[in-house]
Amino acid sequence: MSLLQEEREIILSNEYVDAFDFDEVAEFVSNASKELFISHHFKKREKMLVQPRGGFPTYQQQYALYEFFVDANVDVLPLTIDSNTRLNDYGTAKKMLRLSEENDMDMLNGYPLVTHGYRTTRKMITHFNKPVSLRHGTPDARLLIETAIASGIFEIEGGPITYLLPYSKNFPLDKAFLYWKYVERVCANYSELNEPINRESFGPLTATLVPPSITIVIQLLEMLLSLEEGVKSFSVSFAQQGSMNQDIVTGAVIRKLVKHYAAEIDCADAAINLVYHQWMGAFPTNKDFAEQLINLSTVIASMVGADKIITKTREEATGIPTKEANAKTVADTQYCLRILNGLPSVVDEEEEEMLTLEVKAIMEAVFNDPADTLWRKVFNSIKNGVIDVPFSPHIINQNQMITIRDANKNIRIIERGNVPIPDRCYEFEKAQCDLSKDTTSIVNDIIHDIGIMQW
Amino acid sequence: MKVVTGVVGNDIHVVANRLIDLSLQARGYEVFNLGVNTHLEEFFDAAVETGAEVLMISSLNGEAEGWGREVKLLKAKYKNLDDLIMMIGGNLVVGSGNTEDIVARYKKYGFDLVCHQVDLNTGLDLLQDLLEERCKS
Repeated sequence: MSLLQEEREIILSNEYVDAFDFDEVAEFVSNASKELFISHHFKKREKMLVQPRGGFPTYQQQYALYEFFVDANVDVLPLTIDSNTRLNDYGTAKKMLRLSEENDMDMLNGYPLVTHGYRTTRKMITHFNKPVSLRHGTPDARLLIETAIASGIFEIEGGPITYLLPYSKNFPLDKAFLYWKYVERVCANYSELNEPINRESFGPLTATLVPPSITIVIQLLEMLLSLEEGVKSFSVSFAQQGSMNQDIVTGAVIRKLVKHYAAEIDCADAAINLVYHQWMGAFPTNKDFAEQLINLSTVIASMVGADKIITKTREEATGIPTKEANAKTVADTQYCLRILNGLPSVVDEEEEEMLTLEVKAIMEAVFNDPADTLWRKVFNSIKNGVIDVPFSPHIINQNQMITIRDANKNIRIIERGNVPIPDRCYEFEKAQCDLSKDTTSIVNDIIHDIGIMQW
Repeated sequence: MKVVTGVVGNDIHVVANRLIDLSLQARGYEVFNLGVNTHLEEFFDAAVETGAEVLMISSLNGEAEGWGREVKLLKAKYKNLDDLIMMIGGNLVVGSGNTEDIVARYKKYGFDLVCHQVDLNTGLDLLQDLLEERCKS
């Protein structure tokens, strides 16, 4: 028996798992409908796929949500997991699910997939026969993704960096790399049985003034960590940044560089897709304004040429959105995409060159780290600040980089910290900003720049 | 002047914490930032370890109210913290409340300066005033 299989048996022999049947699951994946695989839909490239967000505690609520989504002409269904399951606290998830079922009150902020189990959940997934995307935020997702794939969920979001640095203060990063290695291998192995399982990275990170160079570097590294374990279908992603031009430049550069770096490790055969998140920062409380913002995001996603868009709702600023608000966004976004025809092609060569130079310089510094494996190189690079994510709460993050918006609302680096931004690019970035102000007014500008969409 | 700062409890709201750090540095303080998700013991341990003159706790989700009650009891267990200036700021209640009542309550918990929903720079000005006053006396 392989080491991986031994580990799988340990992970799945858990008091919260009802007799996991490896052979039955493999047979299910082998014979599963192609419609369930988002990789199959990406291959057809017919349209930008629309995927909302959403997860409710009980089976009945989740089922009702999916009915609403299907009526609104959804392309990809989400399954968002509750916070207890994300932290591997299955005991609490179980208790809270019972309370939710008995009291008609939501005691969980998502669907406790491990508690419901794969036999139950699979009934729902195969009934709707649409691709489902697993949305979580889990550093140790081993049991969760086993349960997801066994349920018919063939897209797994996350990664060791993007699910840790924005969400956790002190979960050990080295452990996260090893737990995600397991996830990649299991996805790679199942991918041999039918269409590939798609892995997706979470590009928005902290959604707070993250410069495109940092976003792209982390997307490329999580892609490489996944492809080197044998994954054949991968989505890189980023969120609306606040400047249409910067989003278009980011899209162009990331598209070019995923091909370059995948080819470098002999993985050019893997399918790489681009996902765009509608604005992930603070939303306006005015619901009509929120819809305008959502609409603008859809237009930019089209300009960027995204393969999938992940939506927000008009109730974003007020709490967990209702299924009605969620479905409305899907219908609105589909309508907007249908009427967006004859888009102009925008190219900004200078910005593209600068961004490409920055990303390549950081990637080179990561590869030059003396560690023996890629994940250790990346680990060291985060630890010593070669990669620095603005506003990450994690203790390992250096927090030396400072960013601000220029007059066109592009995110610019005004303090690079230990990140090896080439001097020429650094001067270019700073030249776009008014740096004559004192720190107090710069801090006030940063506060304004973070909340740019609220007024 | 040394300041220990951080966000109390299971609160992960990091943005203001970073901005407090930046602003304090800009005003010339030596900052020891414990970040988000920090428990009271960690604050006091850090104050002892660094010999800080000021402890600046922030909270956004309002759970400081729960922790505040334990401040005096816990602080009494440490020696040499009698002169430590205790400041707290942010959003200090869950839901809404009358600012005067909130400030009075937190002063009773043992804080010298209480900034409920006060602008960051105004709060830092208040700290400066207090420090100057102490210097004189």
